[in-house]
Amino acid sequence: MKLDLATCLKTNRPWRQGLMLATILGALSSPLFAMPADATTLRVAIREDALTLDPIASSDNPSIWTELLVFDRLVRPSKDGTKIEPGLAEKWTISADGLDYTFALRDAKFANGDPVTADDVVYSLQRAAGEKSDWARFFKPVTKYTIVDPKTITLHLDKPFTPMLNNLALFSASILPKKEVEAKGDDFFKEPYGSGPFQVKQWNHGEKIILAKNANYWQSGKPAVDEAEIDIINEDNARVLKLKAGEIDAIVDIPFNQVASLKTDPKLNVGVASVFRIDLVQLNTTKKPFDDPRVRQALNYAINKDALVKGVLRGNGTVADSSLPIMAYNNDALKPYPHDVAKAKELLAAAGYPTGFSTTMLVSSGDVTARQVASSLQSDLKKVGVEVKLQTIEGSSQYSTTKAGNFETSLSYATSDTIDPDQLIGFTAVNPERANAFHTQWKDARVNELYDLERRTADGPDRGAQFKEMEQRVHDAAPFIFLYHQGTPYASRKNVEGFEVLPTSNYRLEDVVIK
Amino acid sequence: MEIVKFTLGRLLQLIPVLLGITLIAFLLLRVLPGDPATLILGNRGTAEDIARLTKQLGLDRPLWQQYLSFLGDMLRGSFGQSIAYRTAVGPLILERLWATLALVGLSTLLAVAMTIPLALIAALRRNGVVDHGIKIIFVMVMSMPSFWLGVLLVLLLSVVFPIFPVSGYGDGVVDRLYHLFLPAFIISLSTASLTIRSLRSSLLDVMKADYIDTARAKGLRQRVVLFRHILRNSLISTISVLGVHTSWVIGGTVVIESVFAIPGLGYLLVSSISARDYPMVQGLTVTFAVLVVAINLLTDVAYAIADPRVKL
Repeated sequence: MKLDLATCLKTNRPWRQGLMLATILGALSSPLFAMPADATTLRVAIREDALTLDPIASSDNPSIWTELLVFDRLVRPSKDGTKIEPGLAEKWTISADGLDYTFALRDAKFANGDPVTADDVVYSLQRAAGEKSDWARFFKPVTKYTIVDPKTITLHLDKPFTPMLNNLALFSASILPKKEVEAKGDDFFKEPYGSGPFQVKQWNHGEKIILAKNANYWQSGKPAVDEAEIDIINEDNARVLKLKAGEIDAIVDIPFNQVASLKTDPKLNVGVASVFRIDLVQLNTTKKPFDDPRVRQALNYAINKDALVKGVLRGNGTVADSSLPIMAYNNDALKPYPHDVAKAKELLAAAGYPTGFSTTMLVSSGDVTARQVASSLQSDLKKVGVEVKLQTIEGSSQYSTTKAGNFETSLSYATSDTIDPDQLIGFTAVNPERANAFHTQWKDARVNELYDLERRTADGPDRGAQFKEMEQRVHDAAPFIFLYHQGTPYASRKNVEGFEVLPTSNYRLEDVVIK
Repeated sequence: MEIVKFTLGRLLQLIPVLLGITLIAFLLLRVLPGDPATLILGNRGTAEDIARLTKQLGLDRPLWQQYLSFLGDMLRGSFGQSIAYRTAVGPLILERLWATLALVGLSTLLAVAMTIPLALIAALRRNGVVDHGIKIIFVMVMSMPSFWLGVLLVLLLSVVFPIFPVSGYGDGVVDRLYHLFLPAFIISLSTASLTIRSLRSSLLDVMKADYIDTARAKGLRQRVVLFRHILRNSLISTISVLGVHTSWVIGGTVVIESVFAIPGLGYLLVSSISARDYPMVQGLTVTFAVLVVAINLLTDVAYAIADPRVKL
């Protein structure tokens, strides 16, 4: 049998279909659906949502960045990340013996209008040092608090601990409104406020955090925008497209291969922040042949690090000479290991490996940049006779695996929360401390001694010299292949002024003006 | 009454399914290397810090105790405290459930809306230009990664011709549907490429059946023959394909969610696995299991509507 299409679909009301189609198309393109343009809302897109806005329970960047906008700390890192500057405390003094820190609070108010008092400071810091806090260790050195008057407070230490001032600038040292937190408990952190430039107005998990201007903020005239919306867009390309389409005012984390083309877009400003980050290859010094410093140095000579910065990072970074980012007390005298294949072969021969050896390298599977870097390392090392087998491993398993010592080499990175090198030197060079020199098990008695000394020495040239010596020793012994410091590219639309990513990776949205 | 009994029976079946699924999810997660406390504390934590947090999270207890307390939480209707978010799991899942349901629902509707006319045309004009055209287009669509197709469509329909938003979820029902249209359309393309093939071939089979000749012989109009006899009888197998594919879509929207920044369950699941957020992953597993069972239930009801001989 045969059915005829035309007869089957024939209808006596052909205009109906047309009308319906027109209605749908009309509705979709009508201005009813367009968002009203609001000049005073700043929209920033980032990759991941915050997890919790309780400062003592946060460890992920999005949570930390938002907390830094909502709460104040006694002191804060300067914008360029080189020194500590006043925050809630207008000024402070440290006693000559390094045991008493006295802070004079400025006349600041929480978003609800209550004044910030010494009481709030004590409550918040004790909470940060308490049982529920993930960061207690950072604040345990304070053994006693003395409230001199509602605007003056003294922190007492049992023994000198120089990184203390830096720790007070950490997100986890945020000053909270005691009364409110005590009354509401954990619920307070669903839509928290503090004395910072913004307060959380609405939080749609996984979608956006809407921040409203804190009308009581102590810096007059700031923030310049009424609202800041943090949009969560996981996909790198989607963030870029949204910025180009003008649906977003600023974005962070741009894929390296798109930075150059964005720079040519006349509607955009593009910047690259030198954040405190070091990318390196951990070498397990308990395993042969990595127990021999000559082998470790040879590997450093074998890698063309400039090519990595040019090829993979597209120039958005600098070559590294040690396991520390470029930050305070950086040892400028150090030079990166040059790319020198002959020297590498010579060192390998001297160590008893004239024909090289074979080894394995752990690489995080979800990280595109890491995979590119790994195959580049593989081909460089092959040229000196070192055969590397790459083992991709799920990112969340990598740290546990290296921690357990089940690796030969591992491509990884470290970042710093503070502007003081204490945190990363402790993590990457001191053994045991927290991580047995970032799981390399490298141990240097002099570094351990200097670390102990640095933490007791008042900030100044002497302490700087101690850091420089430690950095030199790490450089020489090379428990890592030091790769590079990768920058964080960010971009904003031309009418947005003052948006920048700081060396501490966060942004100060109170300084942003929309023209 | 029939349908109530049937639904209750299905819900009873859900219990062993959930027990099995939660047990597997529970054990698989713990076999993975990497523990939440180490992941949270990273380079800031000492061994004592990690031990303290592990204890605080209740992860130092024997596995069977942890599983029992998870079952207890589930019976109480909550899924415990999320490790990453430090807040109750239930509300977090509920908040995102609607985005996923809307996306899956809309894409299924769009797929059906595409399938019926296109399959009819293809079957009626078998081996014609239109039939081949549909075949070629949908084979191409099926072979393209949805991620790539998504970015291409966004470039075309949001950047070059700004008809749709690049991404996002919108505010209010109408705005949300507008935002969800493009992602739902991309998902529906992959669904439709399966269902169109399936419906077309069963249409062709049914067209050859004797009862169709009978229907025509007794003088029914073409339209009635086509829609009441041929189409209705051809739907059964397509409903199965649609049901199976929709169950798959529910857990498989993560890529589209990422491209379009929709706060759905897929991305939450992936990030929770990375964070070893055990309670969240368990809660999501249960949610997905319930949704899949619900879709199967709907599929069975759809059978009964399409074919009166099917008894629930």
